[in-house]
Amino acid sequence: MINSIFNICGAIGQKFLKFLSTIGHFSFFVVTAIFWMFRPPWYFKKIFYQIIDIGYFSLPVVGLTTFFSGMVLALQTYNGFTELNTETTVARVVLTSITRELGPVLTGLMVAGRIGAKMAAEIATMRVTEQIDALGTLGTRPMQYLIAPKIIASLICIPILVLLGNTIGILGGYVIAIFKLEFNPNIYLYATVEYLQWIDIIQGTVKALIFGLIISMVSCYFGFNATKGAEGVGYATTASVVISSVMILTSTYIITALFFG
Amino acid sequence: MKNKFNNKVIIEVKNLTKGFNDTMVLNNINFKLFEGESLAIIGASGSGKSVLLKNIIGLLTPDKGSIKINGLEMVNLKRSAKEKVLLDLGITFQHGALFDSLQNWENIVFKIRNKDKLSDKDGKKLALSIIEQLGLNSEILTLYPSEISGGMQKRVAIARAICGDPKVLLFDEPTSGLDPVTGSLIDKLIKTAVKTVGGSAITITHDMSSVCRIADKVILIDKQTIAWSGTPEDMLKANNPKIKDFIKSTNPKLFI
Repeated sequence: MINSIFNICGAIGQKFLKFLSTIGHFSFFVVTAIFWMFRPPWYFKKIFYQIIDIGYFSLPVVGLTTFFSGMVLALQTYNGFTELNTETTVARVVLTSITRELGPVLTGLMVAGRIGAKMAAEIATMRVTEQIDALGTLGTRPMQYLIAPKIIASLICIPILVLLGNTIGILGGYVIAIFKLEFNPNIYLYATVEYLQWIDIIQGTVKALIFGLIISMVSCYFGFNATKGAEGVGYATTASVVISSVMILTSTYIITALFFG
Repeated sequence: MKNKFNNKVIIEVKNLTKGFNDTMVLNNINFKLFEGESLAIIGASGSGKSVLLKNIIGLLTPDKGSIKINGLEMVNLKRSAKEKVLLDLGITFQHGALFDSLQNWENIVFKIRNKDKLSDKDGKKLALSIIEQLGLNSEILTLYPSEISGGMQKRVAIARAICGDPKVLLFDEPTSGLDPVTGSLIDKLIKTAVKTVGGSAITITHDMSSVCRIADKVILIDKQTIAWSGTPEDMLKANNPKIKDFIKSTNPKLFI
Protein backbone atom coordinates (compact mmCIF):
# COMPACT_ATOMS: atom_id res chain seq x y z
CA MET A 1 0.00 0.00 0.00
CA ILE A 2 2.70 2.48 1.09
CA ASN A 3 4.82 1.40 -1.84
CA SER A 4 1.98 2.15 -4.27
CA ILE A 5 1.58 5.63 -2.78
CA PHE A 6 5.32 6.22 -3.11
CA ASN A 7 5.21 5.02 -6.73
CA ILE A 8 2.33 7.36 -7.58
CA CYS A 9 4.05 10.30 -5.85
CA GLY A 10 7.31 9.42 -7.63
CA ALA A 11 5.59 9.35 -11.01
CA ILE A 12 3.87 12.69 -10.36
CA GLY A 13 7.16 14.19 -9.14
CA GLN A 14 8.97 12.94 -12.23
CA LYS A 15 6.35 14.46 -14.54
CA PHE A 16 6.52 17.74 -12.65
CA LEU A 17 10.31 17.84 -12.87
CA LYS A 18 10.10 17.11 -16.61
CA PHE A 19 7.58 19.94 -16.98
CA LEU A 20 9.89 22.33 -15.11
CA SER A 21 12.83 21.24 -17.24
CA THR A 22 10.81 21.87 -20.43
CA ILE A 23 9.86 25.34 -19.15
CA GLY A 24 13.53 26.07 -18.42
CA HIS A 25 14.59 24.73 -21.82
CA PHE A 26 11.91 26.78 -23.58
CA SER A 27 12.86 29.95 -21.67
CA PHE A 28 16.50 29.48 -22.66
CA PHE A 29 15.40 28.98 -26.29
CA VAL A 30 13.35 32.21 -26.19
CA VAL A 31 16.24 34.24 -24.74
CA THR A 32 18.69 32.80 -27.28
CA ALA A 33 16.30 33.45 -30.18
CA ILE A 34 15.76 37.08 -29.08
CA PHE A 35 19.53 37.53 -28.76
CA TRP A 36 20.07 36.31 -32.34
CA MET A 37 17.28 38.58 -33.64
CA PHE A 38 19.40 41.62 -32.80
CA ARG A 39 22.76 40.35 -34.05
CA PRO A 40 23.99 40.78 -37.61
CA PRO A 41 23.99 39.41 -40.24
CA TRP A 42 20.25 39.73 -40.83
CA TYR A 43 18.90 37.54 -43.59
CA PHE A 44 16.63 40.13 -45.22
CA LYS A 45 15.64 37.88 -48.12
CA LYS A 46 14.45 35.20 -45.69
CA ILE A 47 12.62 37.79 -43.57
CA PHE A 48 10.90 39.11 -46.72
CA TYR A 49 9.75 35.61 -47.78
CA GLN A 50 8.43 34.98 -44.28
CA ILE A 51 6.53 38.28 -44.32
CA ILE A 52 4.88 37.26 -47.61
CA ASP A 53 4.04 33.82 -46.24
CA ILE A 54 2.79 34.90 -42.83
CA GLY A 55 1.20 38.22 -43.79
CA TYR A 56 0.01 38.07 -47.37
CA PHE A 57 -1.01 34.40 -47.57
CA SER A 58 -2.75 34.43 -44.17
CA LEU A 59 -4.89 37.41 -45.09
CA PRO A 60 -7.67 35.46 -46.91
CA VAL A 61 -8.23 33.05 -44.02
CA VAL A 62 -8.02 35.81 -41.40
CA GLY A 63 -10.30 38.07 -43.47
CA LEU A 64 -12.93 35.36 -43.97
CA THR A 65 -12.93 34.36 -40.30
CA THR A 66 -13.24 37.89 -38.93
CA PHE A 67 -15.77 38.94 -41.61
CA PHE A 68 -18.16 36.11 -40.70
CA SER A 69 -17.53 36.62 -36.98
CA GLY A 70 -18.54 40.28 -37.37
CA MET A 71 -21.68 39.21 -39.22
CA VAL A 72 -22.64 36.63 -36.57
CA LEU A 73 -21.94 39.11 -33.80
CA ALA A 74 -24.21 41.76 -35.35
CA LEU A 75 -27.00 39.24 -35.84
CA GLN A 76 -26.80 37.76 -32.33
CA THR A 77 -26.49 41.16 -30.67
CA TYR A 78 -29.51 42.43 -32.56
CA ASN A 79 -31.57 39.42 -31.42
CA GLY A 80 -30.55 40.10 -27.81
CA PHE A 81 -31.07 43.85 -27.85
CA THR A 82 -34.21 44.29 -29.95
CA GLU A 83 -35.90 46.27 -27.21
CA LEU A 84 -33.12 48.86 -26.89
CA ASN A 85 -31.71 51.55 -29.11
CA THR A 86 -30.28 48.79 -31.32
CA GLU A 87 -28.34 50.73 -33.94
CA THR A 88 -25.87 52.22 -31.50
CA THR A 89 -25.81 49.13 -29.24
CA VAL A 90 -25.12 46.68 -32.07
CA ALA A 91 -22.40 48.93 -33.50
CA ARG A 92 -20.80 49.32 -30.10
CA VAL A 93 -20.89 45.60 -29.23
CA VAL A 94 -19.50 44.62 -32.63
CA LEU A 95 -16.74 47.23 -32.41
CA THR A 96 -15.70 46.45 -28.84
CA SER A 97 -15.86 42.67 -29.21
CA ILE A 98 -13.92 42.67 -32.46
CA THR A 99 -11.19 45.14 -31.51
CA ARG A 100 -10.67 43.93 -27.96
CA GLU A 101 -11.05 40.16 -28.26
CA LEU A 102 -12.34 38.48 -31.39
CA GLY A 103 -10.04 40.18 -33.90
CA PRO A 104 -6.76 39.43 -32.13
CA VAL A 105 -7.78 35.99 -30.82
CA LEU A 106 -9.25 34.70 -34.08
CA THR A 107 -6.29 36.04 -36.04
CA GLY A 108 -3.90 34.44 -33.54
CA LEU A 109 -5.66 31.07 -33.70
CA MET A 110 -5.84 31.10 -37.51
CA VAL A 111 -2.18 32.02 -37.84
CA ALA A 112 -1.23 29.38 -35.23
CA GLY A 113 -3.05 26.77 -37.31
CA ARG A 114 -1.71 27.88 -40.66
CA ILE A 115 1.75 29.28 -40.00
CA GLY A 116 2.63 27.73 -36.63
CA ALA A 117 2.05 24.23 -37.99
CA LYS A 118 4.05 25.04 -41.11
CA MET A 119 6.98 26.48 -39.15
CA ALA A 120 7.08 23.53 -36.77
CA ALA A 121 6.84 20.93 -39.57
CA GLU A 122 9.48 22.67 -41.69
CA ILE A 123 12.02 23.03 -38.88
CA ALA A 124 11.29 19.55 -37.49
CA THR A 125 11.85 18.00 -40.94
CA MET A 126 15.12 19.89 -41.21
CA ARG A 127 16.10 18.59 -37.78
CA VAL A 128 15.33 14.91 -38.44
CA THR A 129 16.99 14.97 -41.88
CA GLU A 130 20.19 16.49 -40.41
CA GLN A 131 19.75 19.74 -42.38
CA ILE A 132 20.09 21.79 -39.18
CA ASP A 133 23.30 19.90 -38.32
CA ALA A 134 24.55 20.62 -41.84
CA LEU A 135 23.78 24.33 -41.44
CA GLY A 136 25.97 24.47 -38.35
CA THR A 137 28.88 22.91 -40.22
CA LEU A 138 28.57 25.37 -43.12
CA GLY A 139 29.39 28.47 -41.11
CA THR A 140 25.78 29.44 -40.45
CA ARG A 141 24.05 29.63 -37.09
CA PRO A 142 20.70 27.82 -37.29
CA MET A 143 19.10 30.13 -34.70
CA GLN A 144 20.07 33.17 -36.72
CA TYR A 145 19.35 31.75 -40.18
CA LEU A 146 16.20 29.72 -39.47
CA ILE A 147 14.52 30.98 -36.32
CA ALA A 148 15.22 34.75 -36.15
CA PRO A 149 13.65 35.59 -39.58
CA LYS A 150 10.46 33.73 -38.60
CA ILE A 151 10.15 35.59 -35.30
CA ILE A 152 10.89 39.00 -36.86
CA ALA A 153 8.34 38.37 -39.64
CA SER A 154 5.70 37.20 -37.12
CA LEU A 155 6.19 40.31 -35.00
CA ILE A 156 5.77 42.52 -38.07
CA CYS A 157 2.88 40.66 -39.71
CA ILE A 158 0.53 39.60 -36.92
CA PRO A 159 -0.21 43.15 -35.63
CA ILE A 160 -0.94 44.23 -39.22
CA LEU A 161 -3.14 41.15 -39.74
CA VAL A 162 -5.00 41.96 -36.52
CA LEU A 163 -5.64 45.56 -37.61
CA LEU A 164 -6.88 44.37 -41.00
CA GLY A 165 -8.90 41.58 -39.37
CA ASN A 166 -10.51 44.10 -37.03
CA THR A 167 -11.48 46.33 -39.94
CA ILE A 168 -12.89 43.40 -41.93
CA GLY A 169 -14.79 42.13 -38.87
CA ILE A 170 -16.37 45.53 -38.28
CA LEU A 171 -17.22 45.62 -41.99
CA GLY A 172 -18.93 42.20 -41.60
CA GLY A 173 -21.09 43.63 -38.80
CA TYR A 174 -21.89 46.71 -40.91
CA VAL A 175 -22.95 44.58 -43.92
CA ILE A 176 -25.43 42.58 -41.80
CA ALA A 177 -26.66 45.66 -39.95
CA ILE A 178 -27.35 47.60 -43.15
CA PHE A 179 -28.46 44.94 -45.61
CA LYS A 180 -30.26 42.47 -43.36
CA LEU A 181 -31.31 44.37 -40.24
CA GLU A 182 -32.03 47.52 -42.25
CA PHE A 183 -30.26 49.95 -39.91
CA ASN A 184 -29.55 53.48 -40.95
CA PRO A 185 -26.00 53.38 -42.38
CA ASN A 186 -25.11 56.89 -41.20
CA ILE A 187 -26.20 56.28 -37.60
CA TYR A 188 -24.45 52.89 -37.53
CA LEU A 189 -21.21 54.32 -38.90
CA TYR A 190 -21.37 57.34 -36.59
CA ALA A 191 -21.86 55.04 -33.58
CA THR A 192 -18.91 52.87 -34.68
CA VAL A 193 -16.57 55.86 -35.05
CA GLU A 194 -17.82 57.45 -31.84
CA TYR A 195 -17.15 54.41 -29.71
CA LEU A 196 -13.77 53.62 -31.24
CA GLN A 197 -11.12 54.16 -28.55
CA TRP A 198 -7.37 54.30 -28.78
CA ILE A 199 -7.02 51.98 -25.81
CA ASP A 200 -8.83 49.23 -27.77
CA ILE A 201 -6.47 49.57 -30.71
CA ILE A 202 -3.41 49.66 -28.43
CA GLN A 203 -4.63 46.65 -26.48
CA GLY A 204 -5.31 44.72 -29.72
CA THR A 205 -1.84 45.56 -31.00
CA VAL A 206 -0.19 44.47 -27.74
CA LYS A 207 -2.11 41.20 -27.93
CA ALA A 208 -1.05 40.74 -31.54
CA LEU A 209 2.62 41.25 -30.66
CA ILE A 210 2.39 38.76 -27.80
CA PHE A 211 0.55 36.25 -30.02
CA GLY A 212 3.20 36.69 -32.74
CA LEU A 213 5.88 35.93 -30.20
CA ILE A 214 3.96 32.92 -28.83
CA ILE A 215 3.22 31.39 -32.24
CA SER A 216 6.74 31.78 -33.64
CA MET A 217 8.58 30.80 -30.45
CA VAL A 218 6.44 27.76 -29.63
CA SER A 219 6.44 26.48 -33.23
CA CYS A 220 10.17 27.00 -33.70
CA TYR A 221 10.91 25.41 -30.30
CA PHE A 222 8.99 22.23 -31.02
CA GLY A 223 10.39 22.02 -34.55
CA PHE A 224 13.95 22.69 -33.44
CA ASN A 225 13.84 20.00 -30.76
CA ALA A 226 12.07 17.34 -32.82
CA THR A 227 13.31 13.75 -32.63
CA LYS A 228 12.25 10.31 -33.87
CA GLY A 229 11.79 10.88 -37.60
CA ALA A 230 8.35 11.28 -39.17
CA GLU A 231 6.61 10.62 -35.85
CA GLY A 232 8.63 13.43 -34.28
CA VAL A 233 7.61 15.82 -37.07
CA GLY A 234 3.95 14.96 -36.46
CA TYR A 235 4.31 15.46 -32.72
CA ALA A 236 6.10 18.79 -33.16
CA THR A 237 3.37 20.05 -35.49
CA THR A 238 0.48 19.00 -33.24
CA ALA A 239 2.15 20.24 -30.06
CA SER A 240 2.98 23.61 -31.60
CA VAL A 241 -0.64 24.26 -32.67
CA VAL A 242 -2.20 23.01 -29.42
CA ILE A 243 0.21 24.80 -27.09
CA SER A 244 0.18 28.04 -29.14
CA SER A 245 -3.65 28.03 -29.07
CA VAL A 246 -3.82 27.39 -25.32
CA MET A 247 -1.21 30.09 -24.66
CA ILE A 248 -3.09 32.56 -26.89
CA LEU A 249 -6.34 32.00 -25.01
CA THR A 250 -4.61 32.20 -21.63
CA SER A 251 -2.60 35.31 -22.45
CA THR A 252 -5.59 37.13 -23.91
CA TYR A 253 -7.27 36.94 -20.49
CA ILE A 254 -4.14 38.17 -18.71
CA ILE A 255 -3.69 41.12 -21.11
CA THR A 256 -7.38 42.05 -20.91
CA ALA A 257 -7.21 41.91 -17.11
CA LEU A 258 -4.10 44.14 -17.14
CA PHE A 259 -5.74 46.73 -19.42
CA PHE A 260 -9.30 46.70 -18.16
CA GLY A 261 -9.25 44.65 -14.94
CA MET B 1 54.99 4.69 -35.57
CA LYS B 2 56.58 6.30 -38.61
CA ASN B 3 54.23 7.00 -41.49
CA LYS B 4 54.71 7.80 -45.17
CA PHE B 5 52.81 11.09 -44.86
CA ASN B 6 53.83 14.48 -43.78
CA ASN B 7 54.15 14.14 -40.01
CA LYS B 8 51.72 16.98 -39.38
CA VAL B 9 48.77 15.68 -37.41
CA ILE B 10 45.49 17.12 -38.67
CA ILE B 11 43.04 15.32 -36.41
CA GLU B 12 43.93 13.62 -33.15
CA VAL B 13 41.35 11.68 -31.19
CA LYS B 14 42.43 10.62 -27.70
CA ASN B 15 40.54 8.35 -25.30
CA LEU B 16 37.20 9.38 -26.77
CA THR B 17 34.24 7.89 -24.93
CA LYS B 18 30.60 8.56 -25.74
CA GLY B 19 27.36 7.02 -24.57
CA PHE B 20 23.65 7.80 -24.65
CA ASN B 21 21.72 7.29 -21.40
CA ASP B 22 23.00 3.93 -20.16
CA THR B 23 24.31 2.68 -23.52
CA MET B 24 28.01 3.02 -24.24
CA VAL B 25 28.59 3.64 -27.97
CA LEU B 26 32.29 4.47 -28.16
CA ASN B 27 34.86 3.54 -25.55
CA ASN B 28 38.41 4.83 -25.45
CA ILE B 29 38.87 5.56 -29.16
CA ASN B 30 42.35 6.73 -30.20
CA PHE B 31 43.67 7.59 -33.66
CA LYS B 32 45.52 10.24 -35.64
CA LEU B 33 44.88 11.57 -39.12
CA PHE B 34 48.00 12.93 -40.82
CA GLU B 35 48.21 15.59 -43.51
CA GLY B 36 47.59 14.06 -46.94
CA GLU B 37 46.23 10.84 -45.46
CA SER B 38 42.95 9.20 -46.36
CA LEU B 39 41.45 7.23 -43.50
CA ALA B 40 38.53 4.83 -43.84
CA ILE B 41 36.44 3.94 -40.80
CA ILE B 42 34.54 0.70 -41.21
CA GLY B 43 32.22 -1.23 -38.93
CA ALA B 44 28.80 -2.81 -38.73
CA SER B 45 25.67 -0.66 -38.68
CA GLY B 46 25.15 0.82 -35.23
CA SER B 47 28.79 0.40 -34.27
CA GLY B 48 29.14 4.14 -33.65
CA LYS B 49 30.97 5.32 -36.79
CA SER B 50 28.61 8.24 -37.43
CA VAL B 51 28.64 9.09 -33.70
CA LEU B 52 32.43 9.31 -33.93
CA LEU B 53 32.17 11.66 -36.91
CA LYS B 54 29.58 13.82 -35.12
CA ASN B 55 31.92 14.09 -32.13
CA ILE B 56 34.74 15.22 -34.40
CA ILE B 57 32.65 17.96 -36.02
CA GLY B 58 31.25 19.09 -32.69
CA LEU B 59 27.61 18.07 -33.16
CA LEU B 60 28.02 15.79 -30.15
CA THR B 61 30.17 16.33 -27.09
CA PRO B 62 32.24 13.39 -25.87
CA ASP B 63 31.68 12.14 -22.34
CA LYS B 64 35.44 11.81 -21.98
CA GLY B 65 38.52 12.33 -24.08
CA SER B 66 39.99 14.89 -26.42
CA ILE B 67 39.61 15.81 -30.11
CA LYS B 68 42.19 18.10 -31.68
CA ILE B 69 41.90 19.57 -35.15
CA ASN B 70 45.08 21.25 -36.34
CA GLY B 71 46.26 21.21 -32.73
CA LEU B 72 43.17 23.02 -31.45
CA GLU B 73 41.20 21.25 -28.73
CA MET B 74 37.61 21.04 -30.02
CA VAL B 75 35.92 19.75 -26.87
CA ASN B 76 34.44 22.71 -24.99
CA LEU B 77 35.94 25.15 -27.51
CA LYS B 78 34.09 28.48 -27.79
CA ARG B 79 31.39 28.38 -30.43
CA SER B 80 32.87 31.11 -32.61
CA ALA B 81 36.30 29.44 -32.63
CA LYS B 82 34.69 26.09 -33.42
CA GLU B 83 32.85 27.66 -36.36
CA LYS B 84 36.15 28.91 -37.79
CA VAL B 85 37.61 25.40 -37.61
CA LEU B 86 34.50 23.93 -39.24
CA LEU B 87 34.85 26.32 -42.19
CA ASP B 88 38.02 24.43 -43.15
CA LEU B 89 36.19 21.10 -43.18
CA GLY B 90 34.08 19.64 -45.99
CA ILE B 91 31.43 17.35 -44.60
CA THR B 92 28.82 15.08 -46.14
CA PHE B 93 26.09 13.55 -44.02
CA GLN B 94 24.77 10.01 -44.29
CA HIS B 95 21.54 11.06 -46.00
CA GLY B 96 22.91 14.06 -47.84
CA ALA B 97 21.22 16.69 -45.65
CA LEU B 98 20.66 18.99 -48.62
CA PHE B 99 18.48 22.03 -47.95
CA ASP B 100 15.06 21.26 -49.49
CA SER B 101 14.12 24.90 -49.94
CA LEU B 102 17.23 25.81 -51.92
CA GLN B 103 18.09 24.93 -55.50
CA ASN B 104 21.01 22.57 -56.02
CA TRP B 105 23.46 25.31 -57.00
CA GLU B 106 22.54 27.26 -53.85
CA ASN B 107 23.19 24.12 -51.82
CA ILE B 108 26.59 23.61 -53.42
CA VAL B 109 27.90 27.14 -52.87
CA PHE B 110 26.07 27.73 -49.58
CA LYS B 111 29.20 28.10 -47.45
CA ILE B 112 31.16 30.22 -49.94
CA ARG B 113 28.13 32.38 -50.74
CA ASN B 114 27.58 33.25 -47.07
CA LYS B 115 31.27 33.84 -46.44
CA ASP B 116 32.30 35.74 -49.58
CA LYS B 117 28.92 37.27 -50.57
CA LEU B 118 29.08 35.62 -53.99
CA SER B 119 26.67 36.90 -56.67
CA ASP B 120 24.10 34.47 -58.11
CA LYS B 121 25.93 34.44 -61.45
CA ASP B 122 29.31 33.63 -59.91
CA GLY B 123 27.70 31.10 -57.59
CA LYS B 124 26.11 29.21 -60.48
CA LYS B 125 29.40 29.29 -62.38
CA LEU B 126 31.29 27.87 -59.41
CA ALA B 127 28.65 25.19 -58.81
CA LEU B 128 28.81 24.21 -62.48
CA SER B 129 32.58 23.80 -62.39
CA ILE B 130 32.23 21.44 -59.40
CA ILE B 131 29.37 19.29 -60.64
CA GLU B 132 31.11 18.72 -63.97
CA GLN B 133 33.84 16.86 -62.08
CA LEU B 134 31.14 14.67 -60.53
CA GLY B 135 29.58 13.70 -63.85
CA LEU B 136 26.41 15.71 -63.27
CA ASN B 137 24.51 17.65 -65.88
CA SER B 138 24.21 21.44 -65.65
CA GLU B 139 20.40 21.10 -65.82
CA ILE B 140 20.24 19.90 -62.22
CA LEU B 141 21.65 23.19 -60.93
CA THR B 142 18.33 25.00 -60.99
CA LEU B 143 16.32 22.03 -59.74
CA TYR B 144 15.53 21.39 -56.08
CA PRO B 145 17.01 18.37 -54.26
CA SER B 146 13.59 16.66 -54.24
CA GLU B 147 13.52 16.83 -58.04
CA ILE B 148 16.65 14.72 -58.59
CA SER B 149 17.43 11.05 -57.88
CA GLY B 150 18.98 9.81 -54.63
CA GLY B 151 22.31 9.16 -56.35
CA MET B 152 22.37 12.66 -57.76
CA GLN B 153 21.52 14.08 -54.32
CA LYS B 154 24.52 12.23 -52.93
CA ARG B 155 26.75 13.79 -55.56
CA VAL B 156 25.35 17.26 -54.92
CA ALA B 157 26.10 16.73 -51.21
CA ILE B 158 29.69 15.79 -52.12
CA ALA B 159 29.89 18.85 -54.37
CA ARG B 160 28.82 20.98 -51.40
CA ALA B 161 31.50 19.36 -49.22
CA ILE B 162 34.35 19.93 -51.67
CA CYS B 163 33.28 23.46 -52.66
CA GLY B 164 35.88 25.94 -51.42
CA ASP B 165 38.69 23.34 -51.39
CA PRO B 166 38.58 22.45 -47.70
CA LYS B 167 41.74 20.95 -46.22
CA VAL B 168 39.91 18.17 -44.42
CA LEU B 169 37.10 16.14 -45.94
CA LEU B 170 34.75 14.04 -43.84
CA PHE B 171 32.41 11.71 -45.69
CA ASP B 172 29.68 9.66 -44.03
CA GLU B 173 28.92 6.79 -46.40
CA PRO B 174 29.48 8.76 -49.61
CA THR B 175 28.89 5.83 -51.98
CA SER B 176 25.93 4.14 -50.33
CA GLY B 177 22.96 3.98 -52.67
CA LEU B 178 25.08 4.70 -55.73
CA ASP B 179 25.60 2.41 -58.72
CA PRO B 180 29.13 0.88 -58.99
CA VAL B 181 30.18 3.25 -61.81
CA THR B 182 29.17 6.37 -59.90
CA GLY B 183 30.59 4.89 -56.69
CA SER B 184 33.94 4.42 -58.39
CA LEU B 185 33.73 7.98 -59.75
CA ILE B 186 33.13 9.32 -56.24
CA ASP B 187 36.09 7.31 -54.95
CA LYS B 188 38.32 8.80 -57.63
CA LEU B 189 37.06 12.22 -56.74
CA ILE B 190 37.81 11.75 -53.04
CA LYS B 191 41.30 10.57 -53.96
CA THR B 192 41.81 13.53 -56.32
CA ALA B 193 40.40 16.01 -53.83
CA VAL B 194 42.81 14.78 -51.17
CA LYS B 195 45.76 14.94 -53.59
CA THR B 196 45.01 18.27 -55.25
CA VAL B 197 44.34 20.32 -52.15
CA GLY B 198 46.96 18.42 -50.19
CA GLY B 199 44.25 17.70 -47.68
CA SER B 200 43.19 14.75 -45.60
CA ALA B 201 40.00 12.71 -45.53
CA ILE B 202 38.02 10.51 -43.21
CA THR B 203 35.49 8.30 -44.95
CA ILE B 204 32.92 6.19 -43.16
CA THR B 205 31.86 3.34 -45.37
CA HIS B 206 30.66 -0.25 -45.65
CA ASP B 207 31.91 -0.56 -49.21
CA MET B 208 35.12 -2.60 -49.06
CA SER B 209 35.97 -2.02 -52.74
CA SER B 210 35.77 1.68 -52.00
CA VAL B 211 38.04 1.22 -48.94
CA CYS B 212 40.67 -0.47 -51.13
CA ARG B 213 40.45 2.35 -53.68
CA ILE B 214 40.59 5.40 -51.42
CA ALA B 215 42.13 4.54 -48.08
CA ASP B 216 45.71 4.78 -46.90
CA LYS B 217 44.68 3.53 -43.49
CA VAL B 218 41.67 1.58 -42.22
CA ILE B 219 40.08 1.48 -38.78
CA LEU B 220 37.51 -1.14 -37.80
CA ILE B 221 35.14 -0.20 -34.99
CA ASP B 222 33.58 -3.12 -33.19
CA LYS B 223 32.00 -3.37 -29.74
CA GLN B 224 32.63 0.32 -28.97
CA THR B 225 36.40 0.14 -29.55
CA ILE B 226 38.90 0.09 -32.40
CA ALA B 227 39.13 -3.63 -33.08
CA TRP B 228 41.72 -3.39 -35.85
CA SER B 229 43.69 -0.78 -37.76
CA GLY B 230 46.17 -0.94 -40.62
CA THR B 231 46.60 -0.38 -44.35
CA PRO B 232 44.17 -1.82 -46.93
CA GLU B 233 46.88 -4.28 -48.00
CA ASP B 234 47.33 -5.46 -44.41
CA MET B 235 43.57 -5.69 -44.09
CA LEU B 236 43.30 -8.29 -46.85
CA LYS B 237 46.06 -10.39 -45.31
CA ALA B 238 45.06 -9.88 -41.67
CA ASN B 239 44.52 -12.86 -39.39
CA ASN B 240 42.41 -10.85 -36.98
CA PRO B 241 39.06 -12.71 -36.90
CA LYS B 242 37.02 -9.51 -36.55
CA ILE B 243 38.37 -7.85 -39.68
CA LYS B 244 38.24 -11.16 -41.56
CA ASP B 245 34.58 -11.70 -40.64
CA PHE B 246 33.72 -8.12 -41.54
CA ILE B 247 35.31 -8.36 -45.00
CA LYS B 248 33.74 -11.77 -45.64
CA SER B 249 30.30 -10.49 -44.70
CA THR B 250 30.52 -7.36 -46.83
CA ASN B 251 32.61 -8.41 -49.82
CA PRO B 252 33.74 -12.06 -49.97
CA LYS B 253 35.19 -11.50 -53.46
CA LEU B 254 38.10 -9.60 -51.91
CA PHE B 255 39.39 -12.93 -50.58
CA ILE B 256 39.32 -14.64 -53.96
